[in-house]
Amino acid sequence: MNHYYLLFPVFLPVLAGILLLLIPFKDRKKMLLLTSLILAVNLACALWVFVQPEQEMSLTYITSSLHLYFKVDMLSKIFLLLISFIWLMAALAAFEYMLHERDERRFFGFYLIVEGVLTALCFSGNLFTMYVFYELMTLTSVPLVMHTMDHEAVMAGLKYLFYSIGGAFMVLFGFFVFTAQGNDLYFTPGGVLNNAEPSAVTLAAVFLMILGFGTKAGMFPLHGWLPTAHPVAPAPASAVLSGIITKAGVLGIIRSVYYIAGPDLIRGTWVQYAWIGLSLVTVIMGSMLAYKENVLKKRLAYSTVSQVSYVLFGLSMLHPVAFVGALMHVVFHALVKNTLFISAGAIIYKTGKTKVDQLRAIGKEMPMVMRCFTVASLTLVGIPPTSAFVSKWLLATGALEADIPVFSWLGPVILLVSAILTAGYLLSISIKGFFPGEDYNDSITEKKEPSWMMLVPLAVMAVLSVVFGIWPTGLENLMKDGIALPVLLMGGGSLCSLFL
Amino acid sequence: MNGIALSLPDICGMGLYFRIDGFRVIFAVVTAYMWMMTTLFSREYLSHSKHTGRYYRFLLITLAAMLGIFLSDDLFTTFIFFEIMSMASYVCVIHEEKKDALEAGTVYLAVAVIGGMVTLMGMFMLYHVTGTLKFDELLPACQKIFAVRSLWLYVSGGCILFGFGAKAGMYPLHVWLPIAHPAAPAPASALLSGIITKSGIFGVIVVSTRVFLHDGYWGSVILIFGVVTMLCGGVLAVFSVDLKRTLACSSMSQLGFIFVGIGMQGLLGEENALAVRGTMLHMFNHSNLKLVLFIAAGVVVMNIHKLDLNDIQGFGRKKPLLMYTFLMGSLGIGGIPLFNGYISKTLIHESIVEYIELLKEGHGATTFAAVSGENAALLFKVIEWLFIITGAMTVAYMTKLFVALFVEKNRDAKLQEAFDARKNYCTKLTAVVLAVTATVLPVMGVFPYMTLDKLADMGQGFMFGESPHHAVNYFSWTNLKGGAYSIVIGALIYVVIIRGWMLKKEKSGAIVYINRWPKHLGLLELVYYPVVKVVLPEVLGFLCRCMDIIMDGCILLARKTTHRQLYAQKPVPKEYGLAVAMGSVCNTMVGWLNRTVLRKHPSEKDYILKFAEMKYTLKRANRMISASISFSLFMFSIGMIVVVLYLFLA
Repeated sequence: MNHYYLLFPVFLPVLAGILLLLIPFKDRKKMLLLTSLILAVNLACALWVFVQPEQEMSLTYITSSLHLYFKVDMLSKIFLLLISFIWLMAALAAFEYMLHERDERRFFGFYLIVEGVLTALCFSGNLFTMYVFYELMTLTSVPLVMHTMDHEAVMAGLKYLFYSIGGAFMVLFGFFVFTAQGNDLYFTPGGVLNNAEPSAVTLAAVFLMILGFGTKAGMFPLHGWLPTAHPVAPAPASAVLSGIITKAGVLGIIRSVYYIAGPDLIRGTWVQYAWIGLSLVTVIMGSMLAYKENVLKKRLAYSTVSQVSYVLFGLSMLHPVAFVGALMHVVFHALVKNTLFISAGAIIYKTGKTKVDQLRAIGKEMPMVMRCFTVASLTLVGIPPTSAFVSKWLLATGALEADIPVFSWLGPVILLVSAILTAGYLLSISIKGFFPGEDYNDSITEKKEPSWMMLVPLAVMAVLSVVFGIWPTGLENLMKDGIALPVLLMGGGSLCSLFL
Repeated sequence: MNGIALSLPDICGMGLYFRIDGFRVIFAVVTAYMWMMTTLFSREYLSHSKHTGRYYRFLLITLAAMLGIFLSDDLFTTFIFFEIMSMASYVCVIHEEKKDALEAGTVYLAVAVIGGMVTLMGMFMLYHVTGTLKFDELLPACQKIFAVRSLWLYVSGGCILFGFGAKAGMYPLHVWLPIAHPAAPAPASALLSGIITKSGIFGVIVVSTRVFLHDGYWGSVILIFGVVTMLCGGVLAVFSVDLKRTLACSSMSQLGFIFVGIGMQGLLGEENALAVRGTMLHMFNHSNLKLVLFIAAGVVVMNIHKLDLNDIQGFGRKKPLLMYTFLMGSLGIGGIPLFNGYISKTLIHESIVEYIELLKEGHGATTFAAVSGENAALLFKVIEWLFIITGAMTVAYMTKLFVALFVEKNRDAKLQEAFDARKNYCTKLTAVVLAVTATVLPVMGVFPYMTLDKLADMGQGFMFGESPHHAVNYFSWTNLKGGAYSIVIGALIYVVIIRGWMLKKEKSGAIVYINRWPKHLGLLELVYYPVVKVVLPEVLGFLCRCMDIIMDGCILLARKTTHRQLYAQKPVPKEYGLAVAMGSVCNTMVGWLNRTVLRKHPSEKDYILKFAEMKYTLKRANRMISASISFSLFMFSIGMIVVVLYLFLA
């Protein structure tokens, strides 16, 4: 049975976005009202889809084997809810931030379109559909990156575009190989390739898919676009790029490894080890470079490189506990990174400072912003009782239980070393911001707090990142029962005992 | 297990578990007591300070976290509150925002974060092998798997010890202690030294009794760290010429005593009553002592804002209350009979003596099977003497402080007059705090059987200690002898080393204290700063930077060699022919339209210019695209996929 209403949250923002691009709104307020209305409606739709049972919808057959097909499972629901929520939050902040940029209409137009495309990406029920929307997402998000249209921004946007397309081609290669082997590439928990003895080409194809989607997720060696694209994009765009678009790569990897190839196919093969190795290298590299970076937004971009690879590390363990940890880290990192980028945006917007060493006493000028920034920083470091502590706990215990030689203990060690570096590169900003030193003259400071449109999203997300840390069980169970168990127990029943 | 328990399952993922029993009640009460006293004192101490709201806010968070630690019944819970406490107390440490306070705070925070992460690693491993972190389930689980996974347990125990030990000032992680205490406001130093360090001790005790109960090897590791910490702290304190720094190093030394106690309770195994009681009581006593001493030091700082002994020399003359307070604290911490410190030091000392006896008899020597009983006994004889000598150093440096503050006159006679004239050196409230906290000490020391012994009976169950077979007679000759040795050697150290070498007399008869410690001799300057600030970031950073540019580098290389861009060599000719042609057609059409349809609102655009502009924009964009590094990546990817496809098909 076809549930055509699934098209609504996809097409509503896309159409609204196109409308926004075409119709010159004279009144800024009306445009913002429309945008926020669409985003709110989409969030409501996401909530509604969330409470529905699993649903599917066949859109059209392009050829007899290329089928545009939507299927909504728990993974889609969680990603969809996350995306709609973050999109609304970042938009609120953008309403104020974009005041000092040109071409707002174009920005919000593409902003809306990308949301629709992302929704479709979540809904995708087979690899072809996913590929189509994945490419669309890349194309529609480029204007967000090169928004300012100066030379640097255009170059960065192009770098983003070509890295992404390069990655997507690797995915396409896997798609060709699997299709040539005569598989129907519909997402099935536990995978559709049932080769007991996978050939070298199959393994290579899986690895290329991981690398390809990993490009979006900022995995070494194709992470290069992240630190280039983030600093030049407007802050709300960097926020969603870093918080959500990188997660689209994660979604792609989950779909291709856990729903197409099947975790048992690569368990114990060189693909798994290479994947773990690459993700760990990325974790440590990202943190280290963030630690040494002076431009605030670039520092946050490197931090994203590192943090998204926490997620990839958890996925690469092919173990349900680590898998749940990885999914939770997706959610928590999205909240935290958006808080951080929007804070950075507020700082740029209000003071024009972009470098870390200019940020002395920033906590006196914008106390609320910096409070949110600090809470988010503590979360990212993983100081209990914040949320990333819980996900890190699950990632590390899961890694240890997965019992992979060397990596089982090396992984948690590297995660913790990276956490120490995270403390080094984030807390130092808060410390300098709040405690400028005795010789600092308080009287010269003027309050530069942004308006509620920026403060509300910041506060909401910062609070949520702590609340999820104190009460994580609901989310954890949802992910465990809805995603991890079906995905990981199709092949090896023995893992079941770990959950008892 | 007895006591009242509270469990909050699912909070923070693993659930929080609390319990109240004797030990925890004692330390929760001590925490609350210390917080009350220091807060009463803070009122005056911080009356001229900025940001007092912030200070009190974070002080309260720290209090809550401390109580959480002492009431926890689960290592996970302990850790959560431990981390909250570390973060919140940072704000109290750097409260004054002076340059050295910020620097000390950074070291404090770094040690806390690194220690916390290492502890977390230990907990991951412990949880992995035992499947639980609850105190009462941990012990049976560890005993069950100890035979097979002992290496794993030792490594995880070592990691946990690292973090908690760092908080408890254990050598070589003590570096934050001697700099953070002087930098913090005095009430915060009192808390930092008196009770916050004890949270680290709490963690170490938990590991020692829940994972390695009565394990000799573990005990000897703790013992070795304890001895080194105790000695190192003592030596640093003797050398120090700064009031609060001396007290901070003294804290380190006293914490070393506590570590020795914990080590002994592991070595002694079933017969560890003395060590358990000594450890617990020394924790308790040290909290009380440091409260008194730091508040007294705070009164000095509050009045003259200086800490150097040469500047504060003679401040305490003709101030009986201050002198009384400081004297009680000094005598207590020096382990002088009839004061509380004596009781707990005697117990720990006795436990070492007991172990020597056991070794001589050949019992309890399983840990030291390699060396014969006699040799091991000799080793512990040495440890016993180191213990006594450290006690003697305590006496020496406390005498040094006391003499400088209350006996000697300042070399500046005018300043001394000003000191003497200052009668209202503190408010009534502070005076009450001083008197009350100081009077507690001798009371406990004079009536140990009614006070300290009762506390030990209450709390020893937490460390699985049992009351000794016969009550210890604290004032018997054998026990007094240990104290007497300390006093005599301490007097010798004071007279020979401190008076003889560490000060010089000026012609006028005034005395100047000299810092004889080599300027750059310190773990922090010699080891940690170079490693953490230079070696690690530069070396690791260089490697990471190489990895970072590996992909872009490949593309750049390709651009210079195989994918060289040709047009870059010659200027592109400006050709607008198409634009002119299309534009003139459009212009004609528009002109025609203007004459007919759009007569009222004629369009006045020049389409030749418009097309030329579009052409220019396009060309510029094209150049940007093809000149970009990423374009090469694009080509590179295509090339790679073609190759792979070819291989696959061939």
